[in-house]
Amino acid sequence: MIRLLRKTVATPSPLISIDPSACERVDISVVGREIEDHVKRLFRGSLAIRQVDAGSDNAAEQELVALSNPFYDVERFGVHFVASPRHADMLMATGPVARNMAEALRRTYAATPDPKFVVALGDDAIDGGIFRGSYAVYDAVKNVIPVDYEIAGDPPSPRAILCALLKILETIGANSLN
Amino acid sequence: MTEFFASSRGFVVLLLLFAIGAAGSLLFNKNDRQANYWSNLFACAGSLWGMFVAIGALVAPEPVAFTLGFSPFSLLRFSFLLDRLAAFFLFVISLIAFFCSIYAIDYVKHYYGKYGIGTLGFFYNIFIAGMLLVASAANGLFFLVAWEIMSVASFFLVIHDRDEQENIRAGLLYLIMTHLGTAFIIAAFLLLYRSTGSFDFSAIQSGGAAISPVVKNAVFVLSLIGFGTKAGIIPLHVWLPAAHPAAPSHISGLMSGVMIKTGIYMMIRVFLDLLAPFPLWWGVVLLIAGAVSALLGVLYALAEHDIKKLLAYHSIENIGIILLGLGSALTFLSLQLPTLALLGLVASLFHTLNHATFKSLLFLGAGAVINQTHTRNMEELGGLIRLMPQTALLFLTGSMAISALPPFNGFFSEWLTFQSLFQGIAATDSRTIWVFVIAAGSLAFTGGLALACFVKAFGAVFLARPRSNEAQHAREPSFFMLAGMWPLAALSLLFGIVSGYVANILQDVAGTLSVFQGFPSPFLLAETGRISAGGFSFVSPPVVFLLLLIALFAVFTAFNFLFFKKQKTTFGPTWDCGADLTPRMEITSTGFARSIILIFKGIMKPTMLKSVECRDGETRYLPKSREIRLGISNIYDTCLYKPAQDLALRFSLYARKMQSGLINMYILYILAALLGALYFSL
Repeated sequence: MIRLLRKTVATPSPLISIDPSACERVDISVVGREIEDHVKRLFRGSLAIRQVDAGSDNAAEQELVALSNPFYDVERFGVHFVASPRHADMLMATGPVARNMAEALRRTYAATPDPKFVVALGDDAIDGGIFRGSYAVYDAVKNVIPVDYEIAGDPPSPRAILCALLKILETIGANSLN
Repeated sequence: MTEFFASSRGFVVLLLLFAIGAAGSLLFNKNDRQANYWSNLFACAGSLWGMFVAIGALVAPEPVAFTLGFSPFSLLRFSFLLDRLAAFFLFVISLIAFFCSIYAIDYVKHYYGKYGIGTLGFFYNIFIAGMLLVASAANGLFFLVAWEIMSVASFFLVIHDRDEQENIRAGLLYLIMTHLGTAFIIAAFLLLYRSTGSFDFSAIQSGGAAISPVVKNAVFVLSLIGFGTKAGIIPLHVWLPAAHPAAPSHISGLMSGVMIKTGIYMMIRVFLDLLAPFPLWWGVVLLIAGAVSALLGVLYALAEHDIKKLLAYHSIENIGIILLGLGSALTFLSLQLPTLALLGLVASLFHTLNHATFKSLLFLGAGAVINQTHTRNMEELGGLIRLMPQTALLFLTGSMAISALPPFNGFFSEWLTFQSLFQGIAATDSRTIWVFVIAAGSLAFTGGLALACFVKAFGAVFLARPRSNEAQHAREPSFFMLAGMWPLAALSLLFGIVSGYVANILQDVAGTLSVFQGFPSPFLLAETGRISAGGFSFVSPPVVFLLLLIALFAVFTAFNFLFFKKQKTTFGPTWDCGADLTPRMEITSTGFARSIILIFKGIMKPTMLKSVECRDGETRYLPKSREIRLGISNIYDTCLYKPAQDLALRFSLYARKMQSGLINMYILYILAALLGALYFSL
């Protein structure tokens, strides 16, 4: 027990928070091309994302949907949103995890094949946001399943999400080089 | 030692064992436990003794014939003949009865306090003894007595579970059908007596040449109907799917495994042994009956969702396959091709043995499932492979054997049947070639459908998730039930691997029949365990077995060490899109069979009942529940039995006019009958 506790304290948190406020002015096509390069190298050309709505207020979903519209069109960079966690490389969880959705989130996590990356998207998913402390929520995705990356914003804009995705891919690339 | 077993004294001991078992069981009627152990242990001992008697008679150089006791009637003699054919059937009966009795020790426990175990044990012992007598009797009248003992005892066993009205009806149908059959058999023996002046088989055989062709043909038709009723040839099969589900499972195993084979035994005895030589059309009729029974039997099995009815229809199918072998033997004999006839007869005997082992295994396995779940409906079962792994493995073994998959025994006997049919196509001319082509085609078709049917049965019962509360709480059956099934499964595999040697023994068995005397060249050659059909084709069971083992091993290693070497395998729950998996998502056995049934809707006349219950009766949107029932209309009842019944009723109405109710009229009838009798006897 003590050994387990010490291990818990000693191990650095693997969680990487990304603040996308710095990339408000970047060019989408430039970011997109870099994402495409990384996806080609790391995921053989296609990054499959499964989005899980764990009690979100749908704000983050609106922005994610916008990623697929003709303006952003992330599919051209090799990023796809898929319908089943069985096909996914990355889980994108939104919302403060309502109690009724916790089990669904856990099952989705279990159904995603390894290696997998979990991204908590939006302030709600990171720490509960405006819902924090409510009896109906678990406050954060990391309280329910292990989270690797966080993207802040309430909600983050599509441009911010793209920018953050690039940083995540850069981190994955750097880690895989080690 | 073997001389003692295969002698009159050995046989008396055999009968005594069953008699003591039956009598003791009645004495202990008050105490279910004692009655159970007493009756089943004596049945075990008796069947074990029966196996020794059979082996003794098989190795004896000459047929063992003896007469027991004396009878008050000149025509009835309690004479026995244990030639190799009878010994083979004695062996099959004793073998299956032995394992069924072991199984019964634990199986009948669920009847404790509900129905008397004493009477069950009594009729059980009498039933086995009756079958042994049928296979060894050598006098027509004595045979009929034994036949009745067997039939009536099995009738009482069928209605043992007598609280359900349906079982009583099934028993009654069985009693009527079996006596209808017996009536035809009696007529056949009376005709034989008229021509030969004796009921003794030996006398009939020696006087066979004197029987006129018309009488011979009449005897053939009568005994085909009579014995065919017991064997379950379509359209005389109607009692089988009713009686087998009603009977306790070890009884179904015995009835389906061996009792219906006594019909086959008597067909071989009467057609090949007593009545030879015979015209060509007998064999053709048998081939057609076999092809029809095999094909229709398996089709009806596919439509069935009652597991024991399904197995009963498969018995009809397998009887058809046995008849294909027998029919080709008869055809070849009338075409003067005795070596090919030997091949056909060996095929049918081998399939008799094999069907007895795997069908009793399947019935015992089904009994174990029903005992735990209290339902025979496959739509309410499912998922039992986790709860009853041993039973599942045993049932799978039986399913593979009955679907004729190598290396199990069913494959090799069907292979032999195919060989004899192919030989028929190759060796005969345009008079009979068509029937062999049809028979071979229907056998091939039957094999495929049987496989589909057992995929359905095994899948619906053992795979996926339990569909009912009862199925969730099933447990592995207790020791003696498993101890009765494991050896049968082992035998199914063993008879497959050593089928070369078994075929050789069966060739000796069949070769001792008088029709094969004087043809020294055996057609089947079994060297180093391989069966070879006269240089035409051969198969080597041990090699098949080894190759399958090697292939399994190779696939296993290839997957483990080549493909999955670098990958870690983790097991998780099935992805269900967030909804919970429920048994309602599983494919039902009706749904599985539907497409095949609809292909054959011309023959099977399926009935589909759809009923939709809606939340709003007027608009009929938003259905609350839907129900679809797929059934098969009983064309035999509507097209054969109902018209026959109507005809009989119409004649009865005419006959009623004689019954005036006046005493002096009846006295006149008696006087007329007396005068008539006097006139004809002078």
